[in-house]
Amino acid sequence: MPQVKIIAKNFMDMVASLPAMKLDALYHNTFICEAILRSLPPLAKKYVLQMLYIDVPVTAKAMEEWVLADGFSKHRVAIDRLIQLRVFTETSDRKKETSYRLNPTFQTNLQKHLIYGGVLPREPMPSNITVRLPSLDDLEAYALVQWECFLLQLINSTQTEKLTNFSSSLMKVFQRGLLTQREKEAPRLTESGFQFLLMDTNAQLWYIMREYISNSEERGVDPADLISFLLELSFHVTGEAYNINTLTEFQRNTIKDLADLGLVKLQQGRKESWFIPTKLATNLSMSLSDTSSRKQGFVVVETNFRLYAYSSSKLHCEILRLFSRVEYQLPNLIVGAITKESLYNAFENGITAEQIISFLQQNAHPRVAERTPSVPENVTDQIRLWETDLNRVEMMPSHLYDEFPSRDVFDAACDYAREYGGLLWEDSKKMRLVVKAEIHLHMREYLRRPK
Amino acid sequence: MAIGRSAVMAPVPSKLYSDDVSLLMVLLDTNPFFWSTASIPFSKFLSHVLAFLNSILLINQFNQVVVIATGCNSCNFIFDSSSVPANPNLENGRMPALCSNLLQKLEEFVTGDEKLSKEVLAAGIGSSLLSGSLSMALCYIQRVFRTGPLHPQPRILCLQGSPDGPEQYVAVMNAIFSAQRSMVPIDSCVLGAQHSAFLQQASYITGGVYLKPQQLDGLFQYLSTVFATDLHSRRFLQLPKPAGVDFRASCFCHKNTIDMGYICSVCLSIFCKHHKKCSTCGRKRQSSLEG
Amino acid sequence: MNDMEHRKTNNGEGRRLDGEEEEEEEDEDEGNGRGLDAWERAYADERSWESLQEDESGLLRPIDNKTIYHAQYRRRIRSLYSTTTTARIQKGLIRYLYIVVDLSRAAAEMDFKPSRMAVVAKHIEAFIREFFDQNPLSQIGLVTIKDGLAQCLTDLGGSPDSHVKALMGKLECSGDSSLQNALDLVHGYLNQIPSYGHREVLILYSALSTCDPGDIMETIQECKKSKIRCSVIGLSAEIFICRHLCQETGGSYSVALDESHFKELLLEHAPPPPAIAEFAIANLIKMGFPQRAAEGVISICSCHKEAKVGGGYTCPRCKARVCELPTECRICGLTLVSSPHLARSYHHLFPIPPFDEVSLSLLNNPHQRSSRACFGCQESLLIPGNKPNLCVACPKCKQHFCLDCDIYIHESLHNCPGCESFRHSKIVSVTEE
Repeated sequence: MPQVKIIAKNFMDMVASLPAMKLDALYHNTFICEAILRSLPPLAKKYVLQMLYIDVPVTAKAMEEWVLADGFSKHRVAIDRLIQLRVFTETSDRKKETSYRLNPTFQTNLQKHLIYGGVLPREPMPSNITVRLPSLDDLEAYALVQWECFLLQLINSTQTEKLTNFSSSLMKVFQRGLLTQREKEAPRLTESGFQFLLMDTNAQLWYIMREYISNSEERGVDPADLISFLLELSFHVTGEAYNINTLTEFQRNTIKDLADLGLVKLQQGRKESWFIPTKLATNLSMSLSDTSSRKQGFVVVETNFRLYAYSSSKLHCEILRLFSRVEYQLPNLIVGAITKESLYNAFENGITAEQIISFLQQNAHPRVAERTPSVPENVTDQIRLWETDLNRVEMMPSHLYDEFPSRDVFDAACDYAREYGGLLWEDSKKMRLVVKAEIHLHMREYLRRPK
Repeated sequence: MAIGRSAVMAPVPSKLYSDDVSLLMVLLDTNPFFWSTASIPFSKFLSHVLAFLNSILLINQFNQVVVIATGCNSCNFIFDSSSVPANPNLENGRMPALCSNLLQKLEEFVTGDEKLSKEVLAAGIGSSLLSGSLSMALCYIQRVFRTGPLHPQPRILCLQGSPDGPEQYVAVMNAIFSAQRSMVPIDSCVLGAQHSAFLQQASYITGGVYLKPQQLDGLFQYLSTVFATDLHSRRFLQLPKPAGVDFRASCFCHKNTIDMGYICSVCLSIFCKHHKKCSTCGRKRQSSLEG
Repeated sequence: MNDMEHRKTNNGEGRRLDGEEEEEEEDEDEGNGRGLDAWERAYADERSWESLQEDESGLLRPIDNKTIYHAQYRRRIRSLYSTTTTARIQKGLIRYLYIVVDLSRAAAEMDFKPSRMAVVAKHIEAFIREFFDQNPLSQIGLVTIKDGLAQCLTDLGGSPDSHVKALMGKLECSGDSSLQNALDLVHGYLNQIPSYGHREVLILYSALSTCDPGDIMETIQECKKSKIRCSVIGLSAEIFICRHLCQETGGSYSVALDESHFKELLLEHAPPPPAIAEFAIANLIKMGFPQRAAEGVISICSCHKEAKVGGGYTCPRCKARVCELPTECRICGLTLVSSPHLARSYHHLFPIPPFDEVSLSLLNNPHQRSSRACFGCQESLLIPGNKPNLCVACPKCKQHFCLDCDIYIHESLHNCPGCESFRHSKIVSVTEE
């Protein structure tokens, strides 16, 4: 889905837009180097590996020799990306030839990483202290519940059971752009709000993270520190407990917020308290690249437009209600049908057919996911047809010219309009002419000109 | 909507697929007869290889590396980056866990391999069992294909120093054709003094890269520049082309390499000299016409 | 849903062995005027719920297609292996095959969708590629029957693309079909080929009759004398004269029931048939294995008579450059092949024996330390609960393999990883040769 790419790239753009000193400071952390490396396009990764042990600048021409003709655009994209992120430094010598070198801090850190491996700033706690550690499945369920709770609260549904600890001002920041609130009315989802709900979890997570990071300065937190902490968090092991005392002040505050989102689970022992990263946290570094994750799908769409969703989540029910008519809700099955009315409802709210179709395809149940197409063609075609139904009438502002004095003037006016590509309709019998609004003024001047 | 996890060892933990996710099968030649005369010691070679493997695992979270050792008398799996580590505290596939696991298993393999050496035999001394490790690599790759439509793109990298064993000709060719059919490229990095006809043919037929580095001291640089490229990016890059491909075959009677021979019209066996009877199919020649 | 459709096709394949049942099904469908949708028919006719199974605790269990498939495969492999053990290395491997395509008006029938002619053409293309894959040194020629006359569409040649292109350009049908004319034409051509080659004809016959100028029995006797092996695949019904032709010349006759059956029958002719001793005249043919030149080398090629840069092959005897293989060197007349071409056929010569099933009693024996992982792919051979799963073992090296590896090894790889990975087991097999 196009939405994912925009958001993912925005995070890297956010990193790239940090001032040079801050960016270089970020590279002192080996894990950030690794995360940045993984987020690069494939060709750029190769260039970094190639230049890892080369200490002298390499001319741009030498690098271009490696690339075939049709790979040249990819080459340029890769080099631009590397320069943006200050991984490559560009130098020009007297002969005006550009050459590239790896950022020295980046280079040393990666070299060390290759040979010695990375060491996390904290070790997991010994198991004699940590009791009642949740299993991986429990942890995953917990993360899901937390995240859904947060989302439900975000869209202000009355179905939330418990509220998160976010301050209302922070929630407002997240809701900015997703909800509109008119006076004395309940907040309604905007177009982007609907689209947000249909995105997959990682894309949603990054959207929230982006807002959180952009907002961090107002809260007195340095965005570079925050980015660094988030990236570091993604390299921890899912399911292992880490002591909270090893965190700095601001990191401790951040951890509380992250717990509300379902990225970590906080637990208290007798003397110590610790946090356990969930899958959402450790997948953060993965979502920096352009892939979208595929978790287990749950929707089966049949050729008779019926929808079967194997899910017990309220959030999923809400999402399906956006564009289908939910008929029954059983303990672990939601049965619905895609009807013309339900789709018109969705289109009015600003959701496009493509978004609905890609939501259905990306969340297809594993049983149907292996088939091509995972959603039956007649259903997808019909959804698109219904969408174009609404667009049958196209409106264009225009002007009608009437009562021409003579046929010659009429013909001349027609030709003039045709030249400028503004002629929409003509009736030569009754000598009437419709032209586009853009050229109305020109037409008027032309007609007023003495012949 | 809990995602169930089966207790049985899962081959690849997640089913994500992006353009450059790769599965790299490394076939490591451990033949002691070759390494005793090689230009760099085995330990130095290993350090280059380990750094290279680590860099592959570094550039993509879902890359997978599997190492198979090609010994003189046996072959075995040494390392699989996707397998559940014995010690859950150390992250799998990352240094130093990568190092210690791999080195330990390699040592066990080499000692075991030496024990299998029986009296010196005329046939096959000096060559390692390339056909065995190729077959094992291909079976493993088939298993990865079976995990579903989303899987990493597999390729094989042979780090070979021992000379070709002509007795393995048929088996190696079978493996090459199977790789070609499954679209798995075989890259070759030849460490010995002479070129390897088997590997030249393998890389040519399967669309891989064949390289004989001039200086083994800089092996890591060769590996990271040429062999670290994922399959998707290879379309855009100029990779080294081989200086010709040696298509000579081995004759069935003496296992010599020949470039002109006599072929039995019934079973297609190759002989270097004219025989009265085809030893493979037992056919007597009925006419003295040359084809 | 998905499950039912899948089972429907499965059932369809199973029933093909008994052709009559299939026809009944079709009648039912045509006579069914109720106009049920496909998904409704799945409920009404198929009763897919009857094929569900329950396990011990009463929960539904998905059908284990895997073991059924594997059992079918093993039967096939065993039957192949036992028939070919004696005749295995006497396979005719340089084949000269003429494919005769019937383009009479019967080929325009639409019982095969979209028409018999279109279906035949599509599958011939796949067949040609498979044929050259399995018989690299062989050659194919195409002949068409139209308006009672037989015409040679392409000469015997080794390049698949030229045959396919020629066929696709000439797909019109009209007139009667004449079996005798086709046989006469093919007979004339096949008499000119060298004696070490095997002569074969494959006739794809759509018509129900043949319109011949003379006595077809004589033609059949001549073909038999010239040792041409004629096979026929019929698309309409069984015809006596075709059966007689195949019986006399030692070929195979079959009639296709539907498109997928036709494809199966056609592809059966791709691997080499067992050569009958009296047909094959053994010869040792001198051939050369040229080296491929490096990129950037400039030389004058002997086929186009112009200077060319880059990849080409050098004849080992006279050092002339040729562009592609296999070919005959124009200067010295040596047959040039690339050794991989020949090597593709070697797995027919050295097949690996079918693996034996490891009996469960042996696996359950606590004293026996059975392997926990398949030797080839390292997949665990234990199902949850630490109980051993079905596996097979190689009779020579005794290594255990999982069922999927078994299929892969026998159908594609043709190497047993266990035998290849142990040197001293190899020494044994070398001396056997």
